[in-house]
Amino acid sequence: MKGVSQFMSRAAASVVGLAGLVIAGCAAFPDAETTAKNTEQMVTDAHTLGAPALIRRSVQDTSQRACSMIGGSEGSAKLSQEQAASLVKTARDSIQYPASGKLSGDWKTGAQLVTDGRGQRIVNGQVEKLPGNGALCTNCHAMDPTEVNAGDVGPSLVAYGKQRGNSEAVARYTYERIYNAWAFMPCSNMPRLGTNGFLTPEQIAHVVAYLIDAGSPVNRQ
Amino acid sequence: MNLSSRAAAICAFALALATGSGPVTAQSKPEDGLALGRKMLAEDNPGDLWVERGQRLFTAKRGPKNASLEKCDLGMGPGVVKGAFAQLPRYFADTDKVQDLESRLLTCMVELQGFKREDIIRTRFGTLDRDSDMEALVSYVGAASNGLRMNVRLTHAKEREMYKAGEYAFYRRSGPLDFACVTCHGESGKRIRLQDLPNMTKAEEMREVVATGWPAYRGTHSTVRTMQHRLYDCFWQMRLPDLGFASDLSVALTAYLNYSANGGEIKLPGVRR
Repeated sequence: MKGVSQFMSRAAASVVGLAGLVIAGCAAFPDAETTAKNTEQMVTDAHTLGAPALIRRSVQDTSQRACSMIGGSEGSAKLSQEQAASLVKTARDSIQYPASGKLSGDWKTGAQLVTDGRGQRIVNGQVEKLPGNGALCTNCHAMDPTEVNAGDVGPSLVAYGKQRGNSEAVARYTYERIYNAWAFMPCSNMPRLGTNGFLTPEQIAHVVAYLIDAGSPVNRQ
Repeated sequence: MNLSSRAAAICAFALALATGSGPVTAQSKPEDGLALGRKMLAEDNPGDLWVERGQRLFTAKRGPKNASLEKCDLGMGPGVVKGAFAQLPRYFADTDKVQDLESRLLTCMVELQGFKREDIIRTRFGTLDRDSDMEALVSYVGAASNGLRMNVRLTHAKEREMYKAGEYAFYRRSGPLDFACVTCHGESGKRIRLQDLPNMTKAEEMREVVATGWPAYRGTHSTVRTMQHRLYDCFWQMRLPDLGFASDLSVALTAYLNYSANGGEIKLPGVRR
């Protein structure tokens, strides 16, 4: 009896296995590993124009890879506690400060930066030529309450300084959050503007001033 | 239509755009004005001129081989344009590839008409000085599916492979701004500045975006742009290297997005800012 039932269950298993193979052959999606390999090759093949340094922009760093889970976005990023801690540590370790030590610069210079959405874009393998990158802030954040042309992918920052003050601690938090938002919220939609070299420490300090200075339009109303 | 009627249509577009994005009062949200502008435009869509030109180009004998595109198989049989847009991208046995509308037209223009691939790619996007044949042909083929519903199938293994690659690419973060498609297109009701962002993880929004989206007349570009251009433009804003025209990556993203729009009723060309 034991032998028979073993035979039966083996036969059943192989029928299930066969069905699995048929399904895999006819209608299954490739597994995750194959898809990753295929797509990474497509990414490599898709970009052919420009210097190697520009082409390399499409290569992911470890943190970007960890934040690319399928079905995820910043709100639903399913990170393990370990992954999250590791991302935060990597982000925190990358933060550098202005040589002057001043974390809050000139809000008027900041005002120019926050609405400037340009910088580092590539056409025909050439990077746009500018004295410096814009800080891109109003693409996603409301800042000056009288400015209509502001996005809402990120939270409103209207009255940011009015609510928090302009202490050294607030300046430091704000500076670090802009330099690398992932030190506070791993996989945040917010780009790691300082760590990625998109903004200089001095530019970030000017944006900090624009956010926290009592004279800035952000805090006037 | 002649040149002066084209100019008139473009003026009408500019007027509607100006009206739509005019002064915004505290009572109305900025997107309400934009929506009104788009509605006005949809009633007199300059993109129809590209459809007419595309039809002429499709049936005219052109290129070194002096052939029309009437033998071009877009998935519905040689020369059949009706329904072609609805089922693309799809697998084609002759190229052994999954192709979207642009890459398939490219194949036909090279194989049937004898055009040089690099010449078609060089002129793929129209400028103010030079119309693009590709933009006209895509407009014509797109409009030939009007009234039908999106129906992209994943029956071939390579179609499933492309779909999964597109999904992977949609969530893949890279570049100096750490962006993936989902960064801007993962939530409903959001804007970059004043530009509405469709949530591409929601089928109901995708049905609208794909079926009435690209090809679309873009007022700020004074021409019809195609899905390939839309993706190229996104990569540009994401600070990534130029997205190769008709590259597998671009087709994979289109396969993923178009599949999610299945059931959407086609009305092309669209009208966009």
